Amino acid sequence: MKKTISEDGRKIRYRKRQKKLNRSMAGNSLLFLLMIICGVFMVLPLVMIVNNALKPLDELYQFPPKIFVRNPTLENFSDLFVLMNTSWVPFSRYILNTIIITGGGMVGHVICASLAAYPLAKHDFPGKKVLSEMVVLSMMFSWTVTQIPQYLIISWLHINNTYFALILPAFSFGMGLYLMKQFMEQLPDSLMESARLDGASEWKVFWKIIMPNVKPAWLTLAIFQFQQMWGNTGSLFLRNEELKPLQYALQQITAGGTARAGAAAAVTFIIAAVPIIFFLICQSNVLETMTTSGMKD
Amino acid sequence: MKRKKKHGMSLIQKRNFKGFLFILPWLIGFIVFYARGLVQNIQFSLNTLTVPATGGYTLDWVGFDNYIYAFRVHGSFKQVLTSSLGNMLIDVPLIIFFSLFMAILLNKKFKGRGIVRAIFFIPVIMGAGAITDALELARTMMNDGINTSAGEISDAAAAASVSIEYFIDLFKNLSIPDKVLDYVVGAVTRVTEIISASGVQLIIFIAALQSIPGSMYEVAKIEGATAYETFWKVTFPMVMPHIITNFVYTVVDKFADSEIIELAYNTTFDNFDYGLGSAMSMVSTVIVCAILFLVVAIIQKRTFYYN
Repeated sequence: MKKTISEDGRKIRYRKRQKKLNRSMAGNSLLFLLMIICGVFMVLPLVMIVNNALKPLDELYQFPPKIFVRNPTLENFSDLFVLMNTSWVPFSRYILNTIIITGGGMVGHVICASLAAYPLAKHDFPGKKVLSEMVVLSMMFSWTVTQIPQYLIISWLHINNTYFALILPAFSFGMGLYLMKQFMEQLPDSLMESARLDGASEWKVFWKIIMPNVKPAWLTLAIFQFQQMWGNTGSLFLRNEELKPLQYALQQITAGGTARAGAAAAVTFIIAAVPIIFFLICQSNVLETMTTSGMKD
Repeated sequence: MKRKKKHGMSLIQKRNFKGFLFILPWLIGFIVFYARGLVQNIQFSLNTLTVPATGGYTLDWVGFDNYIYAFRVHGSFKQVLTSSLGNMLIDVPLIIFFSLFMAILLNKKFKGRGIVRAIFFIPVIMGAGAITDALELARTMMNDGINTSAGEISDAAAAASVSIEYFIDLFKNLSIPDKVLDYVVGAVTRVTEIISASGVQLIIFIAALQSIPGSMYEVAKIEGATAYETFWKVTFPMVMPHIITNFVYTVVDKFADSEIIELAYNTTFDNFDYGLGSAMSMVSTVIVCAILFLVVAIIQKRTFYYN
């Protein structure tokens, strides 16, 4: 509480008035209450997954089921490691496959989509409108039904049973392009104009001006694509056991039924934890951008 | 100068040519992997596809017979089509309003904001195949328990649960029109579905809110705008383009796992009627596309672009 003396000698309180400019305390707490209620719905499955992973077998089968664990053990994880060691393809191989497929698909998609979005958002050339409409159309198409043509294409290219069968199609999803285009359209033209006046090439404009400015967009896209690639079992295109991703191996363990319930609970925990960690890392980076827009007008 | 003459292009043309080079990697991928599938799907829908024992497939031209069959003869196609479109019309606006509202709340500065955001993103992660499998396993394990003590549980459940019918009757007696009541009940029963379907939209909105220049808020504050005015005059116009983005995304997302797609999938892969399945997916795609372009055109007219 800062107190000063004004000209006519009366005491004026500054700080108190400043606080009143914002929303009232009651309104804020009401909003947060709403947020908590919605949040509880969302966090409940995760809480259950974490607790299930720590439950001993008898608690897993307990009825009525309890959300919180009574006697936490790491038995499920040690079960899982025993299972992993008995698999005839070394487990590290599955992890390597996942890193290649998820990483390759994600990085490739973000780069391809951003590159294509820049001219679509900021240039004028014949066929631009048709191309943009085609992107939306391709998103609408139900790819579940077109699995047969897709398989035919993959085998026609002779990339069946390789990593490329999963990575290359990921480069050209319509969604990422659309998202990036929408964000780039918002950037002021004068930003690019000034870069061009200073003699920057198109490539430099894209890399040094556009990309840093739409960082929240491509980080969002990275999260999105990571999630999509992470959930891919690749069972349609990959036949060799040593090419299959972690997701596939873990799904096999959960398919083991009731006998492997403990290991399955541990597996679920791992599958859920990795994308959440990735999300947290990306989100903390989104916060740091866009503090200055680099404009003076 | 010499190089310019060789190409015979003006500066603008050159720049556009370079722009086209930027699109090329995506476009090649799109044409190779997707455009052919699209064309083939249209082709399948106009033919009867048979798979002979020798392998490969043969096509017999039947014209629009598959479409006529879907509309006139097929038992459930029309109902499923209208009901899944209806569901979409209820869900999509609710999801967009909810995610915009939540994004604004989550864009404020408070402790543990990253974690709270992650919580709202969890449903997207939970949708992954392996997790649903594992949760299904957990559910069946609990069902085993239910079977052993089914009797007492059902009694207990009946005693403890609140009767929803009672409330619906109550509102009916207050002479609230059935249609309004149906919509409200529909919306309420969908609450979890709506919350869990808005994870990606929420992130897009947060990214959109992040990209609003801080100077705009500063100006609004200096000019003495209230929080309410700031929202409608600054925040809302600035996120308007992303309302379109989210609208498109939500429709795509909802459409991808709607009943109509499931029906088309089952027709194709369980009944091995490739022609009919392709025709069904074509019809629904065309209808949804038409709705999408119409709505986007309407919103786009009112959208404010920064330039």
